[in-house]
Amino acid sequence: MITKRPLIYWVKTSSVKLQVLLLIVIAFNIAARVFPLQMQRKIVNEAIGLKKIDLLFLYCGLYLAAVLIASGLKFAINTIQTYLGQESLSRLRKELYAHILTLPISFFRKASSGMVVSSLVTEVVSAGELVGQAIAVPVNNILTLLAFAGYMFYLNPLLAALSLGIYPIVILVVPRLQKHSNRANKMRVDVTRDLSSKIAETVSGIHEVQGNASYRIENRKYGEFVDRLFKIRIVWNMYKQGIKVLNNLFQSIGPIILFVVGGYLAINGRFDLGALVAFLSAYEKLYDPWKELMDFYQVYQDATTGYQRLMEYFDVEPEHALEPPPDRQPYVFEGNIHTQDLSFSVAGGIQLLKQVNLDLKPGEQLALVGFSGSGKSTLAQCIAQLYSYTGGSVLIDGKEVSQLTKKDLAENMGIVAQSPYIFDGSFKENLCYSCAALLEGDAEKDHKLPTLDEMIEVVQQVGLFVDVLRFGLNTVLAANQEGELVTKIIRIRENFQTHFGEELADYVEFFDEKRYLDFSSVAANLTFGSPNRDEFTQERLAENQYFLQFLDEAQLKRPLINLGRELATQFLDIFGDLPPDEVFFKESPISIDELDDYKALIERIGHSRIHELAPDDQRLLLRLALRFTPGIHKMATLPEMQRNLILEGRFLFMAKIQQDHPDALSFYRMSDFIHSQTILDNILFGKTTSDHPNAQDRINQSIIHLLIEEDLLEGIVEIGMEFKVGTKGDRLSGGQRQKLAIARVFLKKPPILIMDEATSALDNASQKRIQTLLETKWKGKSTLISVVHRLDTIKGYDKVAVMKAGKILEMGSYQELLAKKGVLYELVHGAKTAAQ
Amino acid sequence: MNSSMEPKQPLSEYQANLEVLMQLPLFAGLPLEPLKVLAYLCKRETFRPEEIMFHEHEIDTNAYYIFEGTAELVSESNGEAAFTTFGERDFIGSMSLFCDIKRLFTLKARTKVICLTLSRDKFQKVVERFPEITGRMVQSILMGVHAWEERFLREHALTCGDCRKWIGVSLV
Repeated sequence: MITKRPLIYWVKTSSVKLQVLLLIVIAFNIAARVFPLQMQRKIVNEAIGLKKIDLLFLYCGLYLAAVLIASGLKFAINTIQTYLGQESLSRLRKELYAHILTLPISFFRKASSGMVVSSLVTEVVSAGELVGQAIAVPVNNILTLLAFAGYMFYLNPLLAALSLGIYPIVILVVPRLQKHSNRANKMRVDVTRDLSSKIAETVSGIHEVQGNASYRIENRKYGEFVDRLFKIRIVWNMYKQGIKVLNNLFQSIGPIILFVVGGYLAINGRFDLGALVAFLSAYEKLYDPWKELMDFYQVYQDATTGYQRLMEYFDVEPEHALEPPPDRQPYVFEGNIHTQDLSFSVAGGIQLLKQVNLDLKPGEQLALVGFSGSGKSTLAQCIAQLYSYTGGSVLIDGKEVSQLTKKDLAENMGIVAQSPYIFDGSFKENLCYSCAALLEGDAEKDHKLPTLDEMIEVVQQVGLFVDVLRFGLNTVLAANQEGELVTKIIRIRENFQTHFGEELADYVEFFDEKRYLDFSSVAANLTFGSPNRDEFTQERLAENQYFLQFLDEAQLKRPLINLGRELATQFLDIFGDLPPDEVFFKESPISIDELDDYKALIERIGHSRIHELAPDDQRLLLRLALRFTPGIHKMATLPEMQRNLILEGRFLFMAKIQQDHPDALSFYRMSDFIHSQTILDNILFGKTTSDHPNAQDRINQSIIHLLIEEDLLEGIVEIGMEFKVGTKGDRLSGGQRQKLAIARVFLKKPPILIMDEATSALDNASQKRIQTLLETKWKGKSTLISVVHRLDTIKGYDKVAVMKAGKILEMGSYQELLAKKGVLYELVHGAKTAAQ
Repeated sequence: MNSSMEPKQPLSEYQANLEVLMQLPLFAGLPLEPLKVLAYLCKRETFRPEEIMFHEHEIDTNAYYIFEGTAELVSESNGEAAFTTFGERDFIGSMSLFCDIKRLFTLKARTKVICLTLSRDKFQKVVERFPEITGRMVQSILMGVHAWEERFLREHALTCGDCRKWIGVSLV
């Protein structure tokens, strides 16, 4: 297991070829570093001493060559070292991540996500760097040290012994200081971890913090961690710096000894001047490798400490093997489920499940009912191996669940969790998530994944078809999309106008050259076209000099700046003092990120007149005004006079731009596709005026009709499948997320289905739809265990088990249990009186 | 405020909404700040004649204020039997702002209906920011129930026969 590996493992497993290459380069490098010393000596003694110019040039040339080679080799060493280090770092990151994914669910209940993040992102870095240096640095520097020292002994053993005598003292003192430094470092790692957890906690609980205005509490708690870290880091750095200073001190004492002894010897003629120069030079050169060794020592100590801490944290065994042994394929089950005296207790001796016995034949459907806390979810999760039961047994087709591998279960079981997790990515990726998980690594994966037809079928079954179609319709096609699709959309547009134009006039505002459009922005009303050049996109018009000039000419600049000011003032009057929330900004021309800018702006300009405003401020206000869409942004109105002025402006702009920049924009025309607008807007050739479900339904129905006619329905749905659902699926509604989670499991067609309150966020009709689907399509095909929160859905199940306090009180068919007038009868009966 | 600079400028939708909300018993007496936010978050909807505004047995999370037109309360499970009609200046559905309640009736537009709607999610956002307003609103709903029964007692209790044993909703 990765957490049991010592740091040295990563050195051993790094590329041997590169390590050998590194050693060779190092050997050459050392030679290239000692060679100049000999040259120095020769330059002083032979060239200068004997006044030979030609020798001077020769030796200096050789000196230069050696220096150049040494620098080149040093660069090569660093490059190889970096490569080795980063390569190990990536391996460490990947393997640790893979390990973390397999840890039992119980681990994640106590581990914070901040901790896991900082471990994988920052804490592994020092370990990785060390691996790169582990061989190169000590070998290079020790050999260099030895080489210089040897050369010094060759020159004068006495001097060498005297000047190197200091080093043993250093070797004695430094490790003691280092020990203290390590202790401080360990504390630093721990506190940094607490700090990350605290930050992660704040981020995920920010609504509570803001809701309770508990800023001071949170600041205080956070401050305590920061203060602790502050103290620890000071101590840690003091030790580190202390070690460095000590090193420098010893290093500086050396030359004094050299001058005293060497000078004395030279005066007495027992030592030549060239040798003294070379000696001094050699001594100074000792400093670099020595310093590097010391630095390495610190990195080594810090990294080992950090690495040990890291590995201790994740040193938990996965409870189950991931893959079956190589000599067997994953099991293929029929779906017999049998539990015998199944019990599950958690720390503190609390029994969540007590002696549960149940028996399900393949294709049978069981509903688990009972109050919350009765253990129904726990039971389902034990059968799904998400919890490791502590007593009794769970058998699937006679195989003990605790002995099965994750792969066995994934192949045979589909789980829909209570609050399913939707991953960042496209709708399709999420839909195929369960299927793709089984096929990952398979070379023919692409062929084995569900086909578009299968996907559409399941999406239809769970009631997401119209949603996905809507995603497709709301897509802006890439600019280079040409040809058939575009032609078909234009044709649908024409048919839409002839067949539904009148009927849906209440819900759609058609693009009409002669009318002011309430559901398009002021900018769109003015340009009445889609931009072909970046500087003419609506967001950039306020900075576009040509456009600004036009506004002036059309007498629109001042009224629009005034409008912008009114919008900002009104919005801030309503929301200025409230903590921002996405909902407030949905129908506002100001986005949540711009709130502070506009707050500052309105404060800054106070009661100034428009002509007194700075050009940048004018531009900010203009930007708002250009976004203003009267049908959506209801905090201001556009007086009739201004509408007419803008309408006039539209025609002026058309005339001007056609003359000056005919290619900058394409005007909205019935016959042209509008590339800057969504498919829906293109079909409607206008904007919808209401997002009420009734209006949407009507529009959808008419469009579906036309799409079918053009054989484009599936094409648009396919585009909709690419819809990006956002982090955690936050661009989907709660119901859509749950339906998607159900669909992705259905798509896998597992012989066993576990559904844990899988329809709790759905409306009645959708819930009924899923229930009917389970009863018609899945009964007899998949064994189903469903944790149910609403009693009106359980009639169709083969068996109903009523749970209380971890036990099954009664089990049987719905009719049997009702006839028995037991607990279920009471529940149903009670529920009925409560509902009336 | 700048908006009053031009004397004859028509009210913005937001301002018109604010005026409506201030007159409704449910919001009467609330401070101006939450009312402004509510007025901003309200939405205007148009329903065509015969269009269903909400369905019996379904959870609908909106409250409605009717500007224009009439709508009829019917029971779909009883063969579209009609109960009562709502018209201009009626405000209905405030309970939906507080919790999931399945509608007991279907509301059908009889003529073209233009109304103001407020959804629970948006309403709850406001309550989150101004928790102190809840008490006042609950009070006004309860007073409404009370006033309703009081009137029922006064006008129908003696003549309604069997239905008399159902009296007492204000004691809930």
